[in-house]
Amino acid sequence: MGTITKGQAHFLLLKIHSLTGLVPIGVFLIIHLLINSLRTVGVLPYQWSIDVINNLPFLIWIEVFFIYIPLLFHSFMGFYIAWGGEKNLFRYPNPRNWMYTLQRVTGGVAFLFLAYHMGTTVAPKLWYGHHLFEAAPFLIDVMNQEFATWTGRIIYLVGILSVTFHFANGLWGFCVSWGIIVGPKAQRNASIVFMLFGGVLMVLGFATVLEFSLHPVNVEPTFKGTF
Amino acid sequence: MPDDKIIRLKIKRQDQPDTKPYWQEIELPHKPRANVISCLMDIQMNPVTRDGQKVTPVVWECNCLEEVCGSCTMVINGKVRQSCTALVDALPQPIVLEPMSKFPMVRDLQVDRTRMFENLKKVKAWVHIDGTYDIGEGPVIPEKQRAKAYLLSECMTCGCCLEACPQFTKDNDFMGASTFSQVRLFNMHPTGAMESEERLETIMGEGGIADCGNAQSCVEVCPKKIPLTESIAEVGGETTLQLLKNLLLK
Amino acid sequence: MRKQRPSYIVIGGGLAGLAATMKLCEDKAKVTLVSYQPVKRSHSVCAQGGINAAIDTKGEGDSPEMHFYDTVKGGDFLANQPLVRDMCHQAPAIIRLMDRLGVAFNRTPEGHLEFRRFGGTLYSRTAFAGATTGQQLLYALDEQVRRYEHDGQVKKLEWHEYLSAVLDSENICRGAVLHDLRTGEIFTVKGDAVVLATGGPSQVYGKTTGSTVCNGVATTSAYLQGAKYANGEFIQVHPTAIPGQDKLRLMSESARGEGGRIWVPKKANDSRDPLTIPEEERYYFLEENHPRFGNLVPRDVASREIHDVVYNKKLGVGGQAMVYLDLTHQSAGFLEHRLGGILDIYSKFTGEDPKKVPMKIFPAVHYSMGGIWTDYEDDGNGLIDHQSPRNQMTSIQGLYAAGECDYQFHGANRLGANSLLSCIYTGLMMGPGLISYSQNLRAHFEDVPSTVFDQARDQWQERMQGFRQMNGKENPYVLHQDMGNILLANVLIVRENSKLEKALTEINDLETRFKDVQCLDTTHWSNPAPSMIQQLHCQIQLAKIITRGALIRNEFRGAHYKPEFDLNQPKDFDPHEYVEYIEKKQYGEIQEEEFPSGHVAYMKRFEECNERWLKTTIAEHKNNQPEISFEEVNTSLVQPRPRKYD
Repeated sequence: MGTITKGQAHFLLLKIHSLTGLVPIGVFLIIHLLINSLRTVGVLPYQWSIDVINNLPFLIWIEVFFIYIPLLFHSFMGFYIAWGGEKNLFRYPNPRNWMYTLQRVTGGVAFLFLAYHMGTTVAPKLWYGHHLFEAAPFLIDVMNQEFATWTGRIIYLVGILSVTFHFANGLWGFCVSWGIIVGPKAQRNASIVFMLFGGVLMVLGFATVLEFSLHPVNVEPTFKGTF
Repeated sequence: MPDDKIIRLKIKRQDQPDTKPYWQEIELPHKPRANVISCLMDIQMNPVTRDGQKVTPVVWECNCLEEVCGSCTMVINGKVRQSCTALVDALPQPIVLEPMSKFPMVRDLQVDRTRMFENLKKVKAWVHIDGTYDIGEGPVIPEKQRAKAYLLSECMTCGCCLEACPQFTKDNDFMGASTFSQVRLFNMHPTGAMESEERLETIMGEGGIADCGNAQSCVEVCPKKIPLTESIAEVGGETTLQLLKNLLLK
Repeated sequence: MRKQRPSYIVIGGGLAGLAATMKLCEDKAKVTLVSYQPVKRSHSVCAQGGINAAIDTKGEGDSPEMHFYDTVKGGDFLANQPLVRDMCHQAPAIIRLMDRLGVAFNRTPEGHLEFRRFGGTLYSRTAFAGATTGQQLLYALDEQVRRYEHDGQVKKLEWHEYLSAVLDSENICRGAVLHDLRTGEIFTVKGDAVVLATGGPSQVYGKTTGSTVCNGVATTSAYLQGAKYANGEFIQVHPTAIPGQDKLRLMSESARGEGGRIWVPKKANDSRDPLTIPEEERYYFLEENHPRFGNLVPRDVASREIHDVVYNKKLGVGGQAMVYLDLTHQSAGFLEHRLGGILDIYSKFTGEDPKKVPMKIFPAVHYSMGGIWTDYEDDGNGLIDHQSPRNQMTSIQGLYAAGECDYQFHGANRLGANSLLSCIYTGLMMGPGLISYSQNLRAHFEDVPSTVFDQARDQWQERMQGFRQMNGKENPYVLHQDMGNILLANVLIVRENSKLEKALTEINDLETRFKDVQCLDTTHWSNPAPSMIQQLHCQIQLAKIITRGALIRNEFRGAHYKPEFDLNQPKDFDPHEYVEYIEKKQYGEIQEEEFPSGHVAYMKRFEECNERWLKTTIAEHKNNQPEISFEEVNTSLVQPRPRKYD
């Protein structure tokens, strides 16, 4: 391929930004929300799922390369993109311009939310060294505390709303900018489908929040033998 | 044939690119079928503001007055459009006239859209032929494809799409919807397609198609109703394939 | 051997200017392209209908010879025939070239070029691209020129105005004086030749179907420098245009083709809603006066009838210069399908829906058949010698002209879809001649002393400074409007000598008022005011050319209608009788009985009239007035005969 010019690098970075939103971040988001929603089915399946994840081999490397780095890259590129341009929703309030503006707003909100979310969950988990079967009771306890107050609940509701919207609308943007969905009618239909999909993800997240808020439960670490 | 009604205009003026803009309010006798351009022409014949101050006539750009040349773009009551089709009777008053904000200011309502034409050069927006000598008919083209190309080739480089685009600013080098649509047009033509790779490589750089944020204001304000967002998606797809080709086949 | 590549200055970036630039670049020349605005915005974009070429794809028996005949006949035989014939023979190649350039011409089911019928012919020979053929053709040439610009062969000077040619001591054109419309700077550029491709002069009439840059100034400037101006009085008026405050926009002939009826209320100044006026109180004057053709009479006839109803019978709608073009009797679905795009134009600019209310229309100045005089050299076989440097050269050596601003091709009246053709044809055809002109020059512009250029620049700097300092009482824009009104009232569809004389007096008065003009803006950045005054000065001269030419030409030919000199063609006359008459005359005296009664007398009148008036009007600038003389027309290929369309 030879050397890459500044312009080509710019293009590639934007393409990677777009791609990382879908894979791995988007995929992780779906898995994360799905697994968490097991909480609404019962505590045990939820705890088991946390156990499975926290017992994965090379977990920290998986997290670093498939979540933290892509997420950081996506975030910083996102801020770079949002920094450019001149928002003009006030002058041209057409539906897609709303989505364009909201995509930038929700991106920012999602970043703040994730910083908070990881600060209260992942960071202490790593800090206190709660690994393997110790993780689940620790994390469930953290969540119980989070959802004990309205402030915590609102932070999560807004966060989940922003993240799911940003993902669903971003998915639409991905399909259009990569040329998968082309015609105006297809674009319109796709945006409805993706919004419905985002809605489902949001409901999953909200249901989990609801369950934690209504039924906080304390759990003990699972014994190795039961696993 | 003036009647007793009055047209009120509020015009943003600027004497030079580096001087401060200022506003002037002008009142004119109403005439049937008046449009923004006919008002500006009336001002030339009697350049006096509402408070009786004699001023210089407003400077603006226009030519065909039929919405096919693309000259007379300006921001009217907050929205970018061609001023020749801006009928006075269909506009709330005072009618506020501003120059486009995304291009270098020349004077009053006149801006410099050279950047658009430079972009056309960058993407080789032409069909490269061997020569003008008579070597027979052009390639056979299905009428359906021709009709699609015609829609795209009606683009008059007026700049509406760029003025309304949140990604296009004075300081960046984003090429914008009109340029991408022209890339699609020439990549679509059997002879033009021979240079499609060069065109794609150009828009796969800084200011290229990846900078599009899909706000889709372009298609809303396009006076020729060109399917700009479809063009962007289509050309986006072409660049995706080109990217894969570059990664896998080269 | 000269090291430098030949270099040219092309003024105007419409079809003709761009075609010439493209052709010259192909021959390795360097071109400076000068335009008021980005060339992509030139007036050629306004042409809707199409471009003619007799390719005969439908087996109708069409041929370039038929095209040639239709064109000279349409122009009432006032055009030089070898040029017209050459154009018609080149037309198919031009269409094929434009097709290769990517013009989105409408296609047949097999994917080949589609052709349709247009006025003044029986054949389908008009290629078209949607409803904006001119725009599409212009864009294709603009793209090619952009390619040469990208490669460094073309230097565009957009936002520049041509002021005059630079003439050396031998009166040879060596360059041009230009005016940067932004900085106000006046400077000269040097070149082997200057090509004027500056379009029509319609702004002289004020509001017309022309664009604002169609001001006729460049050619008038050449005239003021001694070039001949030809056939100025032949101005085509289109019968149906949409009146507007800023311009008159064309309403296509197809509106009448699809059943549109032209009428006015029988009562003058009837202020009722047109839809409430009962049938018996409507005056369908075209249908009443022309039972066979009805609303589809030719353009000139329709224009004359509308003029008559409005100005002589005083029956214009609401007392104004308008008549109804009514489609409301047709179903909305039918109209949408057949005329959609065209009716959209009407609603876009008037805010009224022509499917619901009758359109208000009036004839408008549309095209100038006349223009700056240009030369040609035929090859002895009725075609043009394409290598000749004489082709398209004005009477000033080294100054060329192409497109609507020259006077060739259309005679006394232009046929639809021939203007785009003549523009591209002249631009392309002149290329080889220009190259051979450069090659055969004894001395080039490099050899001309720089004082020649400096003087020209200094003169214009002084002149423009003079305009800038004018501080009288007259508003130049008002003066321009008044000039337009003089011509519209007196030098339009129906011409009478008394009115033409009056117009000349009024124009002279206007010239006196011009001395008291005020320059409304004296700043030095992007200030159109001084230019506008200079343009007005030229336009007043042009108004005189047009009016004087019309006054002197005492006949009825094509667009120049003087009822006083109508030869009164017998109703049952057949144009072929005249060919027979001329043949018989060669063998002796004509017997009256050989032709239907009255025909011989008519043919004699016709013959005498041609003897006197089948000539090109030439205007030359002498003592601040146009001095008119006449020049023979080359009719060596087709015998001129009376026109008749049935």
